[in-house]
Amino acid sequence: MEQISIAGQLFQYLITGITVGSIYAMVAIGFNIIYDVTDIINFAQGEFVMLGGLTMVLFHVSFQIPIIIAFILTVMGVTLIGILVDRLAIRPIRQPSVLTLIIATIAVSFVIRGAAMFFWGKNPFDLPAFSGRNPITFYGAVIQPQYFWVVGFLIVVVIVLSIFFDKTITGKAMKACADNADAARLVGINVNQMIMLSFALSAGVGAVAGIIITPISLMEYDRGAMLAVKGFGAVILGGLGSFPGAIIGGLILGIIESLVAGLISSGYKDAFALVVLLCVLFFKPSGILGNIEISKIKRF
Amino acid sequence: MMALMLRTEGLNAFYGNIRAITDVTIRVPKGKVVSIIGANGAGKSTLLKSISGLIQRKNGHVIYKDRDITNMSVNRIVKLGISQVPEGRQLFAHLTVEDNIRLGAYSYYNRRNRSVIQDRIDGVYGMFPILEKRCKQVSGTLSGGEQQMLAIARAFMARPDMILLDEPSMGIAPLVVREIFNVIVNLNQSGTTVLLVEQNAKAALKVAHYAYVLEGGRVVLEGLPKELLDNPKVKEVYLGG
Ligand SMILES: Nc1ncnc2c1ncn2[C@@H]1O[C@H](COP(=O)(O)OP(=O)(O)OP(=O)(O)O)[C@@H](O)[C@H]1O
Ligand SMILES: [Mg+2]
Repeated sequence: MEQISIAGQLFQYLITGITVGSIYAMVAIGFNIIYDVTDIINFAQGEFVMLGGLTMVLFHVSFQIPIIIAFILTVMGVTLIGILVDRLAIRPIRQPSVLTLIIATIAVSFVIRGAAMFFWGKNPFDLPAFSGRNPITFYGAVIQPQYFWVVGFLIVVVIVLSIFFDKTITGKAMKACADNADAARLVGINVNQMIMLSFALSAGVGAVAGIIITPISLMEYDRGAMLAVKGFGAVILGGLGSFPGAIIGGLILGIIESLVAGLISSGYKDAFALVVLLCVLFFKPSGILGNIEISKIKRF
Repeated sequence: MMALMLRTEGLNAFYGNIRAITDVTIRVPKGKVVSIIGANGAGKSTLLKSISGLIQRKNGHVIYKDRDITNMSVNRIVKLGISQVPEGRQLFAHLTVEDNIRLGAYSYYNRRNRSVIQDRIDGVYGMFPILEKRCKQVSGTLSGGEQQMLAIARAFMARPDMILLDEPSMGIAPLVVREIFNVIVNLNQSGTTVLLVEQNAKAALKVAHYAYVLEGGRVVLEGLPKELLDNPKVKEVYLGG
């Protein structure tokens, strides 16, 4: 009996880890979309997630807008904010270096967080789970229906983005900008437009992540910073710029955290995640799926 | 007088406050090959970038098909029919050969002319059979010669009226250089006007109808290729005595 319950516990930690890890993976994907086009690490990525969660609460809970419409409105709204970030904070910088742009994204994250605190206050908000909160018990693990939504949305986001980047000319043009901006201009690609699109896309992905995690872990104005750190960890773990890397990195990070929190103490989970991160950087600086050649060319 | 495809009038271009070319005036007749030769740092690439719009800090004039394009954006200039093959190829190194070629027609992309673009891709593969064999390969892993062909193929996908070539022979074995220059001659014979920049003066003068010598950002000499080939100074400096 004892044996089974330990296995059940481990399975529980694994399930929780995969769920949290899926969110980290989505934040990491958001980082990579912008990085792949611009070489910028957008430290406001976590704020898009926070805005997604809180805007959804506003539309669905406060305004009573039906869930699907509220979902669409929220993603559109946050996408618009992503576009504004590009137009108001990134593009106006003259003769930008990658470092100044990264600092600009940090400034943007402060502004968004401040505005969110002003608007929503400091308390966390809850959102009804999409399919209720009656858990399913499976091999001794308690699984919230929302967990399935989280993993399902990760899969959908990955499939849609893969099709976009691999099959459409616009997706290819975005990758071309990352490879060689001047050559992209020479074939008639509007590089500024592609940068704007990358901000829009990753804000949209961030919003989806925020909406689906809020029923599980609530959402408050200052959650973005931590999410950005974790998502960035997932990016580094998986290899900067790699989409499969972002998913693997996010899931590994989520599972490690969940195991450490369950088996040792939740106080150590962040420290442990960092130790794993440092080990990867030490043994394979380009990340699990990163390409050393690519990381040499890139500026970071 | 022959119809002109492009001319520059007293063109100056700047990096910050540093002037890289000074009062450059050249003429490129329609349907011809014009070569510009010059040593490292003479300003050849700067001149081509000023024409294609990559460099915006300039004064003087660039006139293309009787239209002043000096202050136009790269996007618009590409659409008007000027394609540049940049120095050092500048491929989209992580994309496949086929994607590089496809992106060459980016300005013309929309759902309606999918079949036109497929025809163009097939046409380019006809010109460069080696690229068809390598179509799924990541372009960064091609050999230098193959990369140069891909760069030309990509530029040709826009079906330009005029193509700007920046040192296509750079870092390429002599045998392959000959192959690439054959392609350039073919492009020209099929109606494309060519402006060619080279350090390899011998090869560049051989295919040209007219040529300029650039030194320190200025045009110091111009003439028919055979005049330049006989010029003692050109002989000494650019043809190795
Ligand atoms: N991005 C830049 N910033 C500042 N100066 C530059 C820049 N690019 C070129 N220059 C300068 O402008 C001058 C002309 O350079 P350009 O690249 O046009 O020469 P080039 O004739 O193409 O030489 P090469 O044969 O080596 O390619 C050089 O003195 C060079 O140092
Ligand atoms: Mg040059």
